Amino acid sequence: MTAPTAGLGQYVLALCAVLGFGAGLWRLVALYRLVRLGRPDPERWGHLGRRIRDELVITLGQAKLFKRPYAVRGIAHALTFWGFLVITVGTSDLLVSGIFGVHLPGTASGAFAWTLDVFAVAVSLAVALAAARRLFFRPPHMHVALGGYVILALIGFLMVSLLALEAGGVAAGRLEAGAAPPPVGTALAGLVPGGAGSGLFALSWWAHVLTVLAFAVYLPRTKHLHLVTALPNVFFRSPRPRGALRLIERIEEQESFGASSIRDLTWKQQLDGLTCTECGRCSDACPAAATGKPLDPQKIVLDLRDLLLAEGAALLADPAAAGTAPAHQHERKPEELWSCTTCAACVEACPVTIEHIDKIVDLRRALTMMESAAPPEAQRAMTAIERAGNPWGLPPDTRGDWAEGLDVPTFAERPDAEYLYFVGCAGSFDRRNQKVARSLVTILRAAGVSFAILAKEETCTGDPARRLGNEYLWQTQATSNIETFGRYGVRKVITACPHCFNTIANEYPQLGGSYETRHALQVVEELLADGRIALAASDTASSSGADGAERGNVIEKIAYHDPCYLGRHNGQYDGPRAVLDAIPGVERVEIAPHHRERGFCCGAGGGRMWMEEQVGQRVNHRRVEQLVAADTGATAVASGCPFCLVMLEEGVGAKGIADTVKPVDVLELIAARVRPGGNAIDTTAGGNA
Amino acid sequence: MKILVCLKQVPDSTVRVKVAPDGRAILTEGITWAISPYDEYAIEVALERKDADPTTTVSVVAMGPARSRDALRQALAMGCDDATLVTMAAEEVGGLAAARALATLVTERKPDLVLCGKQASDDDQGLVGAALAEALGLPHVAMVTKLEPADGGAHVTKEVDGGHEVWKAPFPAVLLVHKSEKEPRYPSLPGIMKAKKKEIPEIALATLLGEGAAPPAVTVTRLEQPPARGGGKLLTGAMAQIATELATLLRDEAKVLS
Repeated sequence: MTAPTAGLGQYVLALCAVLGFGAGLWRLVALYRLVRLGRPDPERWGHLGRRIRDELVITLGQAKLFKRPYAVRGIAHALTFWGFLVITVGTSDLLVSGIFGVHLPGTASGAFAWTLDVFAVAVSLAVALAAARRLFFRPPHMHVALGGYVILALIGFLMVSLLALEAGGVAAGRLEAGAAPPPVGTALAGLVPGGAGSGLFALSWWAHVLTVLAFAVYLPRTKHLHLVTALPNVFFRSPRPRGALRLIERIEEQESFGASSIRDLTWKQQLDGLTCTECGRCSDACPAAATGKPLDPQKIVLDLRDLLLAEGAALLADPAAAGTAPAHQHERKPEELWSCTTCAACVEACPVTIEHIDKIVDLRRALTMMESAAPPEAQRAMTAIERAGNPWGLPPDTRGDWAEGLDVPTFAERPDAEYLYFVGCAGSFDRRNQKVARSLVTILRAAGVSFAILAKEETCTGDPARRLGNEYLWQTQATSNIETFGRYGVRKVITACPHCFNTIANEYPQLGGSYETRHALQVVEELLADGRIALAASDTASSSGADGAERGNVIEKIAYHDPCYLGRHNGQYDGPRAVLDAIPGVERVEIAPHHRERGFCCGAGGGRMWMEEQVGQRVNHRRVEQLVAADTGATAVASGCPFCLVMLEEGVGAKGIADTVKPVDVLELIAARVRPGGNAIDTTAGGNA
Repeated sequence: MKILVCLKQVPDSTVRVKVAPDGRAILTEGITWAISPYDEYAIEVALERKDADPTTTVSVVAMGPARSRDALRQALAMGCDDATLVTMAAEEVGGLAAARALATLVTERKPDLVLCGKQASDDDQGLVGAALAEALGLPHVAMVTKLEPADGGAHVTKEVDGGHEVWKAPFPAVLLVHKSEKEPRYPSLPGIMKAKKKEIPEIALATLLGEGAAPPAVTVTRLEQPPARGGGKLLTGAMAQIATELATLLRDEAKVLS
């Protein structure tokens, strides 16, 4: 189309464009300076290949938008986003042709004309869907404010004015020679009354172009800034494994720990806040929010953003100022931060890769390490770890007692053992989980795996302390274990606890302790695949407590509960399921829809295991309700985590279904049926214990 | 206000104590040591005063072997201002001698208030605090749970059977702490770091006692490990049968029924 701007119009448009983009850019520069208020964050560089792939998959491909239960909205968003990309080219062409009188290359092609119009229609529909959802089907944690409607109205108007200018332009014969006709515009042109085409074209053209410029001014002042910030936010996302918290380096030389001030957050954490689109998916997924706790992960992110916007300029002007402490912002209730189980449901749900747990832990770090303000129960657990090497404060020299009578060697006795079985505090001290530890021994024995334990030389990995914000205690514990491992030349570690697994596999390398670390279920999966163990069809030790009639070929239905630190934190969804599926006579059932990536926490993570739940419903009770609601007919619920097991045991007891659904560890099911496989290594000759 | 807290380092409550081969002491090798729990409460009570009035200084003193330094460091990390270690040649010193030595220290330092735990968790003697008050001729209140300054002294809340009493004590006084309102605080990390760098001066016990420590009047003659707890008995079978069997066992074996 020939732009309706010949002469003075070109100068007016040029001026408007400079003002519009200038005002937008001005704001972006101001925000950039605020982001730079944050601390340096060296881990955000490097890994270029992965970052480009993220950008293609997560930003361009909108991959995280389509997750259930958001698929329809996700498609609407993706259409709007892809439409925005296409239509931006069209809009640029309008601006360029309006100011300079020339068209961008390729815009005259039929392919472009078709793409533009198809997306114009698609975006219009998506906008209508989004508006309807806000008006009629509002999701629980979505912030619905006027700004959202303004943006939808602007986008909708852009689409309408685009199609109107096309229709008017076609009707008025303003299509340039050689340019392909816009399909929708041409179809609509028939509806334009004779003689009105030219007027409609000029009016719509100007309305469209000026709205685009207004958009440029408005956008960086709203949550729709994510259109700009999502790109760098996805690009710079942490290359750490999800389960690894950020290391405080040279902790003994630091003077401030955690986020006592907005300044203590890194620049990436500031960018996170400016990227939040207030969609509420994080809070929808949060087990604490779902059970009536004061925690709302989205609110934490937005509070930090608001603090940055409110106080950032003053902090930039006065380098000595600290500003409001984020852990006390809005007289924040301590339970808000202490309610988090670090289950990563929020992190998993966020479409723009905001890192919620890092922020919550940074705020906890300030409370715990700077202010000594951790809740008394958390303090007791930390003191117990310090003094006894386990959060229960049980005598450390009884750590190996669970193995009494099993003749399990210690590393001191068998320094040549191939694997260290790191039992962890739960397996060592909790009676229920001691059974799981003994089950693992049975399995490893059947396969002929050479292993040893550390008994009283083992100490808590430090995982709960780190998640409670006590980085110093974690580093002390980790260093102690790494020294012990080093003394025995440990290279391979097996553990049945996903929390021990996560911190040894993903966090110990931060302190120089790198081992081939496997969760017991990964090991069992391999042993089964390699034929080193076999599973009998049935056994006298029926896992579900069912009586004799329920043996043989009778199918026993067992539900699988995803531990957060196996699933979301470490991507182990299929492995444990494969192990369950390998058991003859067992049919695995799912606690749908709260399974796999959407698995619901048991409530014990993040140090919550050692704290009472005073507010709202207990998370584990909700979990058991979900199990019941899934109506699977399961007689047992199996997991791969000692804390999930404790929580599920308490949950089925409280819900009065302990007789019908029995919580078990997958390892117990395996141990009850395990036989040496064809490829088992016979260790009896070598005298292996 | 100047507060002096006397503390003792004892085996941590998480330690499973074992008797030494001579049967008169416990094995100390490899065990974790900690501030005696009541002394920890005394520190918390003192630090709560300091929280309320930052001009308050809290000093701590411990008597014992070199390892007692760790207990003093812990107290410094919690927020105490300075620490003194009273060293001694012999491992064991009687409670009375300890009280006399502390009395000399208190006379020198002139604190407004001396706080002790009501008893140490290792020997549970509960002698030193009361003896210290006696040696100094100072007022003495035991079972203290709370402290509020009142003109020239303090209102002291003490726990009694089934309730609380509030006493008034003039300064200086010796108070024996039973519990603090809040759990003893967990040291902040800057507190731990600062405590690591603090000097802990030493005074020899002999210097404080002058004439030298008299050996304790009482001696430990024998320590015994408690007998291992027998396992429980699980009765199975029909309900009526179990009930009969249980009644028989309670009468004949446990002898709780007649």
